[in-house]
Amino acid sequence: MRHKLASLLAAAAALSAPVSPATAAGDGDTRVSYRYNDYDEDALGDAPLDGSAERFHIRTQQLNVAHTLNDQDELRLGLTSELMSGASPWFLFPDEDGQPLQIMSGATIRESRQQVDVGWERDQGGGNGFGVSAGYSDEDDYRAIYFGGERRQALSEALTLGFGASYSSDSIHPSDAPAFNRVLEEHKNTASLFVSLAQVLDRSRVVQAGLQVTQSNGFLSDPYKRFYGGGNFFNDSRPERRTQAALLLRYRHALTQADAALHADYRYAQDSWGVHSHTFELAWYQSLGADWKLVPGVRWYTQDAARFHAFFTDDDPGEHYSSDYRLGDYGALSASLDLRKRFGRVEVVAAITRYHSSSDYALGGAAGDDPGLVSFTQASLGIDLRFD
Amino acid sequence: MRNRLGLLLLATMLGGCASTPVQPWERGRLAAWEMQWDPDPLKTALKEHTHFSKEGSSGRVGAAGGGCGCN
Amino acid sequence: MGCPCALEIEGVPEGAAAEAARAARAEVARLDRKYSHYRDDSRLAQLQRAAAQAFVEVDDETANLLDFAAMLHAQSEGLFDVTAGALTRIWDGQQGRLPGADEIAQARGLIGWDKVVWERPRLRLPFPGMRLDLGGMVKEYAADRAAAICRALGIWHGVVDLGGDLAVIGAHADGSAWRVGIKDPGETSRAIAQIEIASGGLATSGDYERALVVDGRRYSHILDPRSGWPITSFASVSVLAPSCLVAGAAATLAMLLGCAPGAEYLRELGLPYLTVGQDGGVQRDGSS
Repeated sequence: MRHKLASLLAAAAALSAPVSPATAAGDGDTRVSYRYNDYDEDALGDAPLDGSAERFHIRTQQLNVAHTLNDQDELRLGLTSELMSGASPWFLFPDEDGQPLQIMSGATIRESRQQVDVGWERDQGGGNGFGVSAGYSDEDDYRAIYFGGERRQALSEALTLGFGASYSSDSIHPSDAPAFNRVLEEHKNTASLFVSLAQVLDRSRVVQAGLQVTQSNGFLSDPYKRFYGGGNFFNDSRPERRTQAALLLRYRHALTQADAALHADYRYAQDSWGVHSHTFELAWYQSLGADWKLVPGVRWYTQDAARFHAFFTDDDPGEHYSSDYRLGDYGALSASLDLRKRFGRVEVVAAITRYHSSSDYALGGAAGDDPGLVSFTQASLGIDLRFD
Repeated sequence: MRNRLGLLLLATMLGGCASTPVQPWERGRLAAWEMQWDPDPLKTALKEHTHFSKEGSSGRVGAAGGGCGCN
Repeated sequence: MGCPCALEIEGVPEGAAAEAARAARAEVARLDRKYSHYRDDSRLAQLQRAAAQAFVEVDDETANLLDFAAMLHAQSEGLFDVTAGALTRIWDGQQGRLPGADEIAQARGLIGWDKVVWERPRLRLPFPGMRLDLGGMVKEYAADRAAAICRALGIWHGVVDLGGDLAVIGAHADGSAWRVGIKDPGETSRAIAQIEIASGGLATSGDYERALVVDGRRYSHILDPRSGWPITSFASVSVLAPSCLVAGAAATLAMLLGCAPGAEYLRELGLPYLTVGQDGGVQRDGSS
């Protein structure tokens, strides 16, 4: 009768061989990811009053390398390189019916941007950990340096607290400043804080709520945009301070039977300029067999205008004014599809996104149709590798 | 000398702790790629950067990244 | 491992204890990364993909685990089956209805250790998509390994606890045994019994999940891969053995065999055990 125990013990014996601590050394694994992205804005629907109808075309390359030093620490290095060309909206001008016409910037802008960022993350176990990061972004007319830190702490088996802060210091030196009567050199800095709570609801569902508060000080206007008011042209003029608060809710649900997971995200943001927005995002992560993953997603963004936003004015515009569509009433719908295929240690990803903005998509309705609203198509191709 | 280096103690040890709906050995599913808050960080970074440049609001759960002169 | 893990160490200075804890945790993390059921970049996931196409040679550690799984399969006459993932999946998350006969038949077509060709060190899976769920076994094995590492680093008093699976590094400094509470399956915030363990390992197999109830009948999540249906069994089985791995194997087999055959099996084995029936009744045998 005891032979059952004997055979159990015998089979287990091979697995109980003496252990040397050296064999339990930490990992040296490295993950490398590369993405090539092509972003192409739709040409203006109606030909502009002046300037090119073609808009932005941006090619971005991203490279990310993450290396696990030991059982706790991971280092990360990211490089981003962007090549931008095209025209952007300059200002709006009323036609004889008072409807806005778009004037685009004349010469095609050709610019490149390089960014490097580094990070260190430590996993202290038990759901606790922290990370610090820093970065630098450089383009012909703009330079930014930033750093941040965050911490996560397990409050109980199912509840995790997260919090952190970041700071960015930027300097702007617009191109062709004297020719267009633009500012020569300006600065701005941005500080932000966030706090979050994540709860494990059950073995398939997690939910997270977060609050982020950001404040920017300095030169916040767009040096390349103009405003037509009371028959005169002015440089885009925005307040020198902007405070924004954002409330975020995230939900993840594993559907084991379907071999899929549902992601639902919501964000409400409000700022001191009067802009407030809702963002709804849904994504479905579908596994197809062992090697394929398909991820369709949709997003709806709706925004209410800043207090000082207008297409143009008949009278003196006052202290602050901007016709930038990005501060107006509008909404945007986008749909995306990602496809991933695994080949052993390598995963290849191809993705496409279509984004369309319109005053029709705005929740609270829109004051009018801004011809400068942007729609774009973005395609990406990338690869994820792992080395041990 | 007794040195406690527990990370999270379980109810099977002395005393007990608050009951949880998720048994410890069931949490593996939550570690799967598709259950992460952010399964594809490069895609998220690009998306947030695009929306930051083309929309009026920004915000995420996490430290805000850097700026850019996007227009 | 997907679970909160704890380590208790005594009798050494803080520095030595911290070093041992880090080494132990690194080992647990290594095994989790290697054998995780949920990460598709784990060694096990890679192995599953490759072995579905051709014979794959596995490393010693994996070979030992597969040998152990094979032995358990034989000893339980097919009840213990590490390939039963597809079957578990269809019973998982059912709400108020039973899976259909064809669903079950289809799932059973995708499982079966007898379909696997295991000729150490070569492994061949019959078709893509067959999953090897070594999770439970690896957790118990990891507890043993973590304890062994602590001993190798000069720790003589302590215990490793991985989500309820314990491996003792050594008894308390004063020689007394560790006292452990076994969770009451019906009320998991309190202990239903206490066990004393001075060496070896303790593992508990439990039917803690809320069972599927259809038309007033309770269907547990412990499945018999041979029929595709749940079995009526204990609420939990805890076994003490010279290692956590053996304790876990015995507890799992007893659980799978179900109430009467399971109790018989435990008596035959001769290891100290404790069972909690669906009615809450506690049976124990052995020293403590």
